[in-house]
Amino acid sequence: MDYILSILIFLPLVAALLIIVLGSSFRERFKYIALAVTVIQLFISIAIYLDFSSSTAFAGINKESQFQLLEKIPWIRLDLGSIGKLEIDYFLGIDGLSMPFLVLSALVMFVATLASWEIKTNHKAFFALLLLLNTAVMGVFCALDFFLFYVFYELMLLPLYFLIGMWGGARREYAAIKFFLYTLFGSVFMLLVIIGLYFSVINPATGNHTFNMILMMDPSNYIGNSIFSTVANQELFGISARLLAFIVLFIAFAIKVPVVPLHTWLPDAHVEAPTPVSIILAGLLLKVGGYGILRVCISIFPEAAVQSAWWLGLIGVISILYGALNALAQTDLKRLIAYSSVSHMGFVLLGIASGTVEGVSGAMLQMISHGGLSAMLFFLVGMIYNRVHDRDIASFRGLALIMPQFTAFVVIAFFASLGLPGFSAFMAEAFSLIGAFTSAEINGLLPRWMAIGGAVGILLSAAYFLWTLQRMFFGQTRLKGGDIWLSQLKDINIREKVALVPLAVLALALGIFPSLAFSKMNASILAFIQLFSG
Amino acid sequence: MGVLSFSAGTLGAFSLIALAFPFISLFTILWRSKDSLGHIAIFNAFISFIASFIVFCCVWNKEVIHLQTGWFTIGENVFTAGILLNNLSVLMMVLVSGISLLVHVYSLMYMKGDPGINKYWAYLGLFCFSMLGLVVSDSLLLIYIFWELVGFSSYLLIGFWFTRDAASQAAKKAFIINRIGDIGLLTGLMIMYAQFRTFDVVKLFGPMGLVDSASIIDGIWISPVSQMPVVWLSVAGFAFFIGAMAKSAQFPLHTWLPDAMEGPTSVSSLIHAATMVAAGVFLLGRVYPLFDSLVFNVIIIIGVLTAFLGATIALTQNDIKRILAYSTISQLGFMIAAMGIGAYGESIFHLATHAFFKCLLFLSAGAVIHQLHHYKEHHQLEFDHQDIRLMGGLGKKMPVTFISMCVAAAALAGLPLTGGYLSKDAVLITSFEWASGYHGFKKLVPYVLVLTSWLTAFYIARLIFKVFFGKLRYEGITEASSSMSRVLIVLAICSLFILVSFNPLSYEGSWILAGFTGSGVKPFEVFHSIVPIVVTIGSILMVLIGFRIYAKRDGRTFREKGFFYRFSNRAWYLNEAYNLMFVKPVERIAHYSYRFDKLIVDGVVNLAGAGMGVLSRVADWLDRYIVDGAVNGAAVLARHTGNFARQFQSGRLQHYLITMLTLVVGFFILTYFI
Amino acid sequence: MIPLSHFMFISAVLFCLGLYAVLTKRNAIQVLIGIEFMINAAILNFVAFGRFDKATGGGQMFALFTIVLAAAGVAVALAIILNVYKHFRTINPAKIDSLKD
Repeated sequence: MDYILSILIFLPLVAALLIIVLGSSFRERFKYIALAVTVIQLFISIAIYLDFSSSTAFAGINKESQFQLLEKIPWIRLDLGSIGKLEIDYFLGIDGLSMPFLVLSALVMFVATLASWEIKTNHKAFFALLLLLNTAVMGVFCALDFFLFYVFYELMLLPLYFLIGMWGGARREYAAIKFFLYTLFGSVFMLLVIIGLYFSVINPATGNHTFNMILMMDPSNYIGNSIFSTVANQELFGISARLLAFIVLFIAFAIKVPVVPLHTWLPDAHVEAPTPVSIILAGLLLKVGGYGILRVCISIFPEAAVQSAWWLGLIGVISILYGALNALAQTDLKRLIAYSSVSHMGFVLLGIASGTVEGVSGAMLQMISHGGLSAMLFFLVGMIYNRVHDRDIASFRGLALIMPQFTAFVVIAFFASLGLPGFSAFMAEAFSLIGAFTSAEINGLLPRWMAIGGAVGILLSAAYFLWTLQRMFFGQTRLKGGDIWLSQLKDINIREKVALVPLAVLALALGIFPSLAFSKMNASILAFIQLFSG
Repeated sequence: MGVLSFSAGTLGAFSLIALAFPFISLFTILWRSKDSLGHIAIFNAFISFIASFIVFCCVWNKEVIHLQTGWFTIGENVFTAGILLNNLSVLMMVLVSGISLLVHVYSLMYMKGDPGINKYWAYLGLFCFSMLGLVVSDSLLLIYIFWELVGFSSYLLIGFWFTRDAASQAAKKAFIINRIGDIGLLTGLMIMYAQFRTFDVVKLFGPMGLVDSASIIDGIWISPVSQMPVVWLSVAGFAFFIGAMAKSAQFPLHTWLPDAMEGPTSVSSLIHAATMVAAGVFLLGRVYPLFDSLVFNVIIIIGVLTAFLGATIALTQNDIKRILAYSTISQLGFMIAAMGIGAYGESIFHLATHAFFKCLLFLSAGAVIHQLHHYKEHHQLEFDHQDIRLMGGLGKKMPVTFISMCVAAAALAGLPLTGGYLSKDAVLITSFEWASGYHGFKKLVPYVLVLTSWLTAFYIARLIFKVFFGKLRYEGITEASSSMSRVLIVLAICSLFILVSFNPLSYEGSWILAGFTGSGVKPFEVFHSIVPIVVTIGSILMVLIGFRIYAKRDGRTFREKGFFYRFSNRAWYLNEAYNLMFVKPVERIAHYSYRFDKLIVDGVVNLAGAGMGVLSRVADWLDRYIVDGAVNGAAVLARHTGNFARQFQSGRLQHYLITMLTLVVGFFILTYFI
Repeated sequence: MIPLSHFMFISAVLFCLGLYAVLTKRNAIQVLIGIEFMINAAILNFVAFGRFDKATGGGQMFALFTIVLAAAGVAVALAIILNVYKHFRTINPAKIDSLKD
């Protein structure tokens, strides 16, 4: 199976085309086609996970030969005369930094497809776009050619824009445009950096300029006096060009993560998006940001990352605290969870900025764990909203009495999210913080107070989740919609259980046996740290 | 005991069995039917107790067993998980599993008929599992995990009757305050890891462990693998202590414990009196070598202050469970203070005796509450069945409860022949011996503790006399069912001196104390005779005063007003103060932060968007009116010129002629005159 | 001897009368009469200036030539007017504006 990654990526695209071709008499089947695709993807990704070699000989990161499941096909070769030959490859491969995300993507897509049962209009377009999004997300995590990466990266935007703008809530146009412009703002400047890198880097094998990301990580491939050369130390607008490029790339990915103060698209997009799109947004899109920071920003510009680590850590801590405080003030359940995402993703940034094995491992685990848990949380909110079309915390009270199983899942999701040991978020947050704290001794990137500041975020997350639990689920039942709601608020059904149980199991499994994730990532993270700070 | 001997591996397996069986109880939650699965839960608790007891017999004062296995690897660091069985952990194990078994049996009747009964067994199982896990864990990371799981199961059990607002709020409060402690503990973990790169308790705190081998040179705290400024040594100590403070309800993090009384009484007895709250003391015991003198001073101050505070508040409470809760806080203060002065063994000793008598106090109170509740429901009355002012004369109707509660009260008050007498004397005498070596505030410590134990005698006497003496209000109330009574009797026996020492008057003979290394404080013979006598006489006096006031009810009583009364009754106004100082400000900050987010951060984005809109409108205007205007203007000009010129071609001959004439004349005039 | 200026004066008045008639009259015949006035003003001038050319008598010659031309012109013009009348049913020049585009 040499082309397993391509199959993984383009299977949904094929299914999307199939859906487009099929007549509208099949409209009730579309969701089953989409579901079948995600199930197949899930199996493929699990097979990849099981087959993945975790030895240091397959660490990946900056050595092309160490990547697994490599696929490299010349894609665009264009003679540009005096500039040289355009060299763009169809170049895929995975290492420990990307492999976990494939499994996560497949799982989250599966859950999102199950959540799509709520979609009532225009099935054809919806599922075609969902599958297109699936292709793009999978592609981003596999692409090793920067051009290809960018194509997939931008390809994610298009379906999302329509998915939010067409199937969203009351202010969907506003949210969709805001999301689109925000992200585009970041990626346009990224394109400039990509072009700059292209002209700075030479493929030693062919002598051409190249978009190969892995070659960009090796300082010796840069042309001596090129703009991003490590030796020439060119300056742009008075600061080092490489630092500037790092900042630009960081902003592009930080918008996706998102970090304060570039986060305001997130609450709006989440609140307006339909449940499956919220799930994908929180579960995968945010991770693309974190993954981009690891794979692109830091790997290509490690010395700029070291220079900016303090600021990265600070932004991380601010995101943790600020997101948590904002979550505390929300009255809309979905908005609360959206802000909690901001807070939780702050740990990712803090862990990455620490430049320690513990911190980066924690950050990676946090991304995976948050991917599953936020999907779970949004799914749960979607269930309530679907039943009564209301998400105001104040509209509900004592739900535990009428929906005991639903409440049980909410309790699991909330406690897992607030970092109860035994669930993945705890391990992730603990090691992000431990890494941040240890950083002061190991490489001096972050001061110790940042870790302690981040720890306060754990307290605040307990506060907002428990407060919500107490207000919405405990006490005597009192609903805004009265008896009508009482009859509408049915407890969880089989389909919803099928979606929720795998996520809960993932959180629990990674919490109790973190080595499920750590062992596969360890070699890559060590190589990454080697590249980053040493 | 000598008959039993097992290999280390077998003992490890036994301790895992002790952990696993309560965990099995957790799955009763999946049982759909309403029938109680209590017998399964009791069976699990029983197996757990037996396994714990075997482990206890084999390990106590013998070998230390440390088994571990790799758990996960980060970088080059292997994180292990394992069990550490030493005197401290096996004592805690047998204590936890034993009391848990008793509470399980008690709950069978106490919780009978509750619609969520299987959930109750599940939560109780989860608690026992976490608590046992906490005591046997060999790594700080595992300790932290079980530490929070204990808090989580306590959250679930406090909020067991979640339809009551007070219960769900109390649960939330308990968890959040415990979270503060968790952050402390996590900070401690971070410092330990940064400094020593391991969480292994044995490697860190064992004899010749890393903590011992770390040295302080020129204000730098140097370990074999790393170094940091010495202030972090104190911070680490404080951090662990904050964790202990939250869990063991020490001032200022004690306010959750009285509220936690919203849970079922059996739960209060197991978790919030005997076991979980002792976890803080246990933690201090585990990380003991870490503390420096600064931290010890803080521990002493907090412990003594808490002991005193708890006792003063308990004086005026009227809710039977709240009195006991504040009494627990006060007794935990004793243990913490003992830890602070270096009386490690004495502290654990008090922990053990306290577990029994406080559990008994709660269960007896539970029996009273249970019977009153049924009486109330049977007669369809409406009154607060936990208010001691509404009780009285129950002693004759509930003799078993009465007697066992008297035993427990005597133990709490530190009257002779009880376990409490021995352990409290141990703490007091050691504190006197310790204080004799110091000056300043440390001299005060033992006196405050003695005062506190007198106050203790008074408030517990008040409770007993108010509940069991005086006029019987509720004719026809009966003794609690036999299964509950039997538990009370067992605990009453355990509260006597016989369990801990064969000598009823001197604590030195206690086998528990012998299991731990001494405090290292220089003994003064003189204290060993004077202190017990003074304390006991004072306590008896207090009981007599209480008898005069509350049992005889001859009109002499304290006025229930005045500043001191209110101050004590409202628990030093701490809840109000916290609300004002922390809860409200955080809510307000959150509110402002959201307004900031909506108005400023999002405002900037929207403003940028709006600015773009304005800019585009300006550009549109420019394009429409200036750029396109120029083009259109040229066209308009041409058209107007054309229209103007068109007028000349009227098609009328005479007009043409006039035009010609005008032009000719004009031309003539032009050429001729100019 | 009548001074030249008298002829000139008469001629100018005659020309102006003719011009006025050409420009203002609403009848093509009257316009034609105006044209004849103007031609006669010119003939008068030719005759008057003929005094300076007694030897060859060029002035008289041109006068005679012009009279003939004028007569021919009137004949053609009247024919046109007749045709115009037949076509437009009017000989008012103000109403005939088909020269307009």
